[in-house]
Amino acid sequence: MTSYFIRRFLLIIPTFFGITLITFLILQIVPGGPLEMEIMKIRMGGNKGGTESGSGGNSTQNIPQSAVEELTKFYGFDKPIQERYVIWVTNLLKLDLGKSYVYAEPVSDVIVSRFPVSIYFGLIGFILTYLICVPLGVYKAVKNGSTFDFISSALVFIGYAIPGFAFGALMLVLLGGGSFFDVFPLGGFRSSDFESLSFFGKIADQINHTILPVVSYLIGSFATLTILTKNSVIENLSQDYIRTAFSKGLSEKRVIFGHALRNSLIPISTGLGHAISLVLAGSVLIEKVFNINGIGLLSFDSIVQRDYPVVMGILVISTLLLLVGNIISDIIYALVDPRIRFK
Amino acid sequence: MRQKTRMEKKKLFEIKNIRTYFFVEATDKQISDDNIKQDPRLKELYESDKYLKGKVPAKAVDDVSFNIYEGEVLGIVGESGSGKSVTAYSITRLIPDPPGKIVSGEVIYKGKDLLKLSFDEMKEYRGKEIAMIFQEPMTSLNPVMKIGDQIMEVILNHEDINKEDAFKKATKMLELVGIPSPEKRMKDYPHQFSGGMRQRVMIAMALSCHPALLIADEPTTALDVTIQAQIIELMLKLKKEREEAAILLITHNLGVVAETCDRVIVMYGGKIQEIADVNALFESPFHPYTEGLLSSLPNPDKPKTKLRAIPGIIPHILELPKGCKFATRCEKVFEKCWETEPDLIEKEDKHFVRCHLFS
Repeated sequence: MTSYFIRRFLLIIPTFFGITLITFLILQIVPGGPLEMEIMKIRMGGNKGGTESGSGGNSTQNIPQSAVEELTKFYGFDKPIQERYVIWVTNLLKLDLGKSYVYAEPVSDVIVSRFPVSIYFGLIGFILTYLICVPLGVYKAVKNGSTFDFISSALVFIGYAIPGFAFGALMLVLLGGGSFFDVFPLGGFRSSDFESLSFFGKIADQINHTILPVVSYLIGSFATLTILTKNSVIENLSQDYIRTAFSKGLSEKRVIFGHALRNSLIPISTGLGHAISLVLAGSVLIEKVFNINGIGLLSFDSIVQRDYPVVMGILVISTLLLLVGNIISDIIYALVDPRIRFK
Repeated sequence: MRQKTRMEKKKLFEIKNIRTYFFVEATDKQISDDNIKQDPRLKELYESDKYLKGKVPAKAVDDVSFNIYEGEVLGIVGESGSGKSVTAYSITRLIPDPPGKIVSGEVIYKGKDLLKLSFDEMKEYRGKEIAMIFQEPMTSLNPVMKIGDQIMEVILNHEDINKEDAFKKATKMLELVGIPSPEKRMKDYPHQFSGGMRQRVMIAMALSCHPALLIADEPTTALDVTIQAQIIELMLKLKKEREEAAILLITHNLGVVAETCDRVIVMYGGKIQEIADVNALFESPFHPYTEGLLSSLPNPDKPKTKLRAIPGIIPHILELPKGCKFATRCEKVFEKCWETEPDLIEKEDKHFVRCHLFS
C-alpha cells in the first residue's frame, strides 16, 4: 500500500505541470493582457489631459514606441511564451511566485494575507455542514417517509436551489439595517473599530459579522451531504449484517450508531481529505455581496485585472491542495474501511 | 421408541396461529377487497394504519402453529417462497416492518407470549434465548468491525461480564468452532475469512450465550458441499452445551434434514402441509407435495432412474388458489381441492397432513 501512495505522490508532478502549463498558455494568449491594459490606462490618462488638442482616437500612436517597448520588457513579453513558462517554473522551484502587477508586492504575501478570512469562513462552514448534515441525514433515514423527513427534504432542496449570493443580498436588505431590521452589519470581516473593542466585544462583533455570510455560504451545501448520508444509512439498514445485529438483541440505537452509521460514513468520510482546501475556501459573489476580502474575490479580481502572477500563484496552491487532498481522501478511505487495500 | 422419548419431553416453544403478511402494491387483477373485509383483524389494521391504503396483504405465513420440544432438531422444508424463513423470522420478530406485519399469533416461551413484548423486552430474548444463523455468511457480518468485537458484543450485551472476560469467552467460542489461532483471528475483519469460516464465526456468535433455541436459516446453502456437513455437525455439537436447547433448521436440502432432524415440517404456500417424525416422513409421506419433494431426490437404491420433478413453479403469492395451495401443481388434484382448503389433521400418531385425500 505504501508503494501505491508513493506512486500517487509522484503522479502529482506531471499532473501539476500539465495543469499549470495549460492555464499559463490560455491566460497569456487571451487578448487584453496587462500590457494592453497599461497602454489603455496611459491613453485614457492622455485623453483626459489632451481634450483640448482634440487628439486621441483609438490608436496607440500617442504613446512613444520606446515606452511600449519598455513596458513589454517590464512584463517579460519580449520573450516567447514557452520561455516565459520556463522562467516562471524556474522561479517557482526557487519558491518565488513573482510580484503582483497590481499590488506591487510578492504574490505569496498577497495570497497569504487573504488566508485568515478564508480559513475562518471555510472552517466554520465545513464544521457546520458536517455537524448538521450527518445527524440530520441519519435521523431522516430512520424516520424515512415521515412528515419530518418530507419537510426537511423540501427545506434542504429549497436551500440548494437558492443561489447563496442572492440569499445574502436578500438577507442584507431584510436584516442589514437598510429598509427593514437593523440586526446585522452591512458587510466586512470585522468592524473598523475592532481593535478598540473589549475581548467579549470582539467576539460579539466577529459573530455578528459572521452569521449572514456563513448562512449564505452554507445554504446550498446542506442538500448533498444530508441526502448522501440519508441514502447511505438507508442502504446500510437493509443489509444482512443489520439483521444479524438485531438478532443479537442489541438496542435500536446501538444497531444504528454502532453498525449502520459506521458503514454509512465510509462514502462521507472520503470527502474529508479535501478539508485542506479550506485555506482557499471562498465564493466571489458572496464575498462581493458582504464586502469580504477573501480568496474568492482576490482570484476574481486578479483575472479581471490580468494580474498573471497572482492568478498563477492561486492556481499553484489550489492545484497542490486538490491533488494532495485526493491522496488524503484515499488514505482516509483505507483507514475507515478495512476492506480497502490499494495496490 | 423414539416417539416415546419425545412424549416425555416438554414443549420449549409453542407457536400458535402465526399470520405474517407483507403489505404490497398489487395489480388490479390481484386486488381482492372482499378478502380484506372478511377478516375483522385485517379490517381493523387497515383502518388504523394509513400506510396500508391501496396495498394488499401477501400472506407469506398464514395460520401456522407448531411446537418445538426441548432438545429436538426441528426441520422446516419447502421451496423458496413457501414461507419457511418468514416463519422463523416471526419467532424472533425480525420481520421488516414496513412492509411486513405479524398480524396475529402467539409465540409462547416459558409462559410468555413473545409477540406481545415491547422492543426493549424482546431484545433481552434475542441473542440470549433465541439466536440465529443466516444463509449468507458473506454479508451477515459487519464488514468494518473486527470479528472479536462482533462476538463480544453479544456476550457483553447479555451477560454481566467485563471486557477482558468477554474477550476470553469469545476466544473460547472461536476455538470451539474450530478456528485456528483464535486469539489472533479475533482481531481480523470478516473479509479476511472464507465463507465457511464466517459461518463458523456466526455459529460462535449465535451460541456464545447458550440460547434455548437456535434458528438456522439455510445455514449451509451458500457453502461448499464439503463444508456443509462440518457446519451442521458443529451446530449439533455445540447445542449439547445446554440440555434443553433446540434447533429450528430451515432448509431445502432434504439430505440435511434426513441426517440431522428429529421432526420435519413441510411448508407450501405459507401453510404447513405436513408434520411428521423424520423417519415417518421419509418412509411414508402423505402429502402429494412431500411425495414430490422426496421423489425429486436421487435414490441410491434405484440408480439410473430418472428424477421426477414437481411440475411448474410456486404461483405468485397473491395468486395462490382459493382451496388447497398446492392444487395448481398437484397430480392428484380433484374438484374439491379447488374449492375448500383442507384442514391439518392428525392422520397417524404425531403425523399431521393437510390434504383432502386424507380427510
